Amino acid sequence: MIDEQVEVLANDEVAEEFYMARLQAPYIAARAKPGQFVNIQVSTGGAPLLRIPLSVCAIDLDAGWIEVLYENLGPKSEVLSRTGRGVSMACLGPLGNGFAPPPAGARTCLVGGGIGVPPMLYWGSVLQRQNYPVTLLVGARNKGKHLPDELLAPAASVVRRASDDGSLGQAGLVTDLLQEELAGDAPHAVYCCGPHGMMRAVAALCRESAVPCQVSLEEYMACGIGICVGCAVELQQDEQGAAGSDYTRYGRICVDGPVFDARRVKWED
Amino acid sequence: MADLKVDFAGVPLQNPVLLASGTCNYGQELLPLTDFSRLGGLVTKTITPEPRGGNPPQRIIETAGGMLNAIGLQNPGLEDFVGEKWAFLAGLQTQVVVNIAGFSVDEFALTAARLEELPGIAALEVNISCPNVEAGGDNFATRPETAAAVIAAVKRNSRRPIIAKLTPNVTDITEIARAVVDAGADAVSLINTLVGMAIDVNSQRPILGNITGGLSGPAVKPVALAMVWKVAQAVSVPIMGIGGIATARDALEFIIAGASAVQVGTANFVNPNAGVEVVDGIQAHCDEHGIDQLASLVGSLQT
Repeated sequence: MIDEQVEVLANDEVAEEFYMARLQAPYIAARAKPGQFVNIQVSTGGAPLLRIPLSVCAIDLDAGWIEVLYENLGPKSEVLSRTGRGVSMACLGPLGNGFAPPPAGARTCLVGGGIGVPPMLYWGSVLQRQNYPVTLLVGARNKGKHLPDELLAPAASVVRRASDDGSLGQAGLVTDLLQEELAGDAPHAVYCCGPHGMMRAVAALCRESAVPCQVSLEEYMACGIGICVGCAVELQQDEQGAAGSDYTRYGRICVDGPVFDARRVKWED
Repeated sequence: MADLKVDFAGVPLQNPVLLASGTCNYGQELLPLTDFSRLGGLVTKTITPEPRGGNPPQRIIETAGGMLNAIGLQNPGLEDFVGEKWAFLAGLQTQVVVNIAGFSVDEFALTAARLEELPGIAALEVNISCPNVEAGGDNFATRPETAAAVIAAVKRNSRRPIIAKLTPNVTDITEIARAVVDAGADAVSLINTLVGMAIDVNSQRPILGNITGGLSGPAVKPVALAMVWKVAQAVSVPIMGIGGIATARDALEFIIAGASAVQVGTANFVNPNAGVEVVDGIQAHCDEHGIDQLASLVGSLQT
């Protein structure tokens, strides 16, 4: 992990208010694993003050770039969306722990909701290269918020979409699609990233079907490296073992995750 | 080359820049990203006698020019610190100040006594001012009597220099500063965070799980600076200046206002090497301006 000075190679809108930034980042590109993230300083002027944590969405090892995909929904992403080609920024990474690989030959199902899709794309493309069958389920509010086919295609052999208003794919929630997958030729491993409520629902469905599930969690984050102890997630205490104490009630998403076994997370609000 | 050395209440510092409590955890995470041997020191995240889980999320939110936090003193507890965390800290080539807190005067005293067993601790910073935990409905640093009672008890149980960390959330911080110095504090550090809050207008709910939090970052610097200047005139012990320091210029302002040393806090979350860059900047400033001894700048404010 280093604080790499990276250059913006491209930064384009790929869906409604969704942007893809390609960053020349040879150190991070050579090391980032699916599920890991970077923490980017979008402004050196102090506004916004904190960095923006973003999952790695794709890498090109030979060219030395990484891609991050983000939704313009706050002050940091707003500044980043206006950052042009050639601009240099500090980018801390790779951070956190990535996805744990499925057993050999496993059928995998990746579930992404809204801005939770990016880590699934990197993970799906790696799984595909390793010859795992990958089904990608994508949920979004509407057609405009869905990523284009060409971004999803490298990540899965089967892509299924759901949108809240039915404007693209199946009308309803991405969890409806997962329910169908679990009822049929069920996957051996599920990987999920999206809004908290969606991940809670996915974790519950997987638990009922006894399918292992890993979730990539999100929480408001400052440092990204474990020093501020801000991005807390409540963990199941009974699975902490004898060493468990009140101190371990909350994990730090940035260093203990962001990927967790769904059974370790205490989902009740 | 200007001499940046400082004697801070008997603790020799190679330069006046430390990392602030709660912004560098117990050091380990920063090891790949900064060079501790270049710093004056670090102040550990607060240790309480028992382990603490901390507050429910959301714990942080950025606000204009700063951030709110309500971590709630999540820490592994005194015994884990002594048995596990200290071994790493003891190996760092920098001064380590251990920050302690408790929920009663006895807890502070007990913690200080136990830490006597660890040679190598440079000083204790006594956190009587965390805004994010309840201690009898009030924190100790908001009243001179309770602040003094804690410091006196810690002083009785420790031979190390005692630094009292003060809160800005009071009517007159000089009154508290005088009280802790009278009770035996060898130094004071200020300021801890300012109580603040943020609200989600759509849900009409507080953004932080703890409802209120502590404001830090550049936004609080002018407040901190004024308090350091006032306290510098009220007490004769050394002052550790804290509050929104991100650059050498910020640090120099505190030093000129009367701080003998400074702590870099929130800036570490933005730039994990901020402390070392502040040191380099102070060195450059002194060299450019023909300042031979940084110590000569302390409290040099011309009014």
